[in-house]
Amino acid sequence: MDATPRQPLMTLWSRIPFRAMLVLVLALYLIREQFPFSNFPMYSNISEEADVTFVTDQNDKPIAMKALFKTSSGTSKKMYKKELGSITSQTGRDSEQATAEERAKAGKAVLDMLLPRLISKAVPPGTTALRFQVRTFRAGVSPEGGEPPEKLAESTLPTP
Amino acid sequence: MIARSSASKWWQPRPLEWGPFEMFVMRAAFAVLAFVNIKWETAPYTEQKFPNGIARFVDLTWLGHHPPGDLTQYGVMVCLVLYVIGLFPALGLLPTAFFATVIGTLLNSQGAINHSWQMVTMMGLAQVAVYAWPRRTDMGRNWTVLARPDLQRHRQAVFAVLTVIAASYVVCGVVKVVNSDGLWIQKAPLLAVQLLKTHYSHFYDTLELPPQWLQDITAFLLEYPWIARIVFGAGLVIELLGFVILINRRWAFVGGVAIIALHLSISRLMNLNFEAHMFAVLIYCVNLPGLRKMVRGEA
Repeated sequence: MDATPRQPLMTLWSRIPFRAMLVLVLALYLIREQFPFSNFPMYSNISEEADVTFVTDQNDKPIAMKALFKTSSGTSKKMYKKELGSITSQTGRDSEQATAEERAKAGKAVLDMLLPRLISKAVPPGTTALRFQVRTFRAGVSPEGGEPPEKLAESTLPTP
Repeated sequence: MIARSSASKWWQPRPLEWGPFEMFVMRAAFAVLAFVNIKWETAPYTEQKFPNGIARFVDLTWLGHHPPGDLTQYGVMVCLVLYVIGLFPALGLLPTAFFATVIGTLLNSQGAINHSWQMVTMMGLAQVAVYAWPRRTDMGRNWTVLARPDLQRHRQAVFAVLTVIAASYVVCGVVKVVNSDGLWIQKAPLLAVQLLKTHYSHFYDTLELPPQWLQDITAFLLEYPWIARIVFGAGLVIELLGFVILINRRWAFVGGVAIIALHLSISRLMNLNFEAHMFAVLIYCVNLPGLRKMVRGEA
């Protein structure tokens, strides 16, 4: 009895090209970022500017971040953006509209998350504090000619 | 000539006639890839500040407090041997799929989404699902296929893996087109800024300056936007046409080589390495043990 209404649907389903893959594409597109599923949105939003976050000593001299925290600059930037987004979304704004104070708050949250991962051996001698900074690159502007990096947060290191 | 059933049109792909040895090599190589792809060092991750996936419902920080030790990892390896030899493969692959899922979820719940683990994890889960599925027969459900899968069941598992690979690349291309309002290729020259960013990101990771030729390429792509559109646009086309790997052995090979070339160029230009993706494609699309059959055009 129920075979009759199902028949056209089954016929239609069997005619869809690459049907299993298309269903999966649709599912991944809708589910978006919920591990292990992903719509792999890397570089889908192309902007005229791009940020990099990094860590320096108290004199703004960069320190190799991977050796310091076993965390890459790229990962720390994603953490920063996520923090910033969660701060600005509380007032219904986009992270692009964040104030300097909000950026500093997000930066401090990231630095606080990174510090427990600090590998003391990787801290260069003479370093008394770590600064978490962001640098923005813009299309058509040479790296040297761009704005100076913005210090987001600083943490004093305990003396050994 | 491609010897496919007349009922099977190229746009309605079915599992190909992979041989037992080819599929044994695929399982062995995938077992290594899946195990190595798991980031077993979970000790630093004792929080899940931005829960993702199942971490939204389950607290996974126990993995940070009690990282899987050597004994657990050896146990996972032993189970993988079952999967490789084709004895209770769903059960054999299950621990790997479990740890890949929970560890990947915990790491992606730290606020930064990493895209190195999703595809391989989905490939593992897809195989667990296929191998755990009883076969329907006129006599009812056949459960023996779970213990000792036949050739047909192994082929279905490989086909499921190829479907995951194809869908991952196609959706990646679709998202680019949708998120840019169809202007991705038009905007592609701006990727030169992203290129600059990734190299400075590498610099801040290691304090090694990017080579001069890369800085020259960045300036060149901004100066000649049409060349940037052709270069980056080719990558988008490869992603959108990812479904071709399902058609037959030759298309799987061509699509696989194109995807690996795409990753190698991204790796060289942007310092973004997707080794796990390249190995997955090498195992299942390029399929080295099946090269002779591919050249002969066998199904």
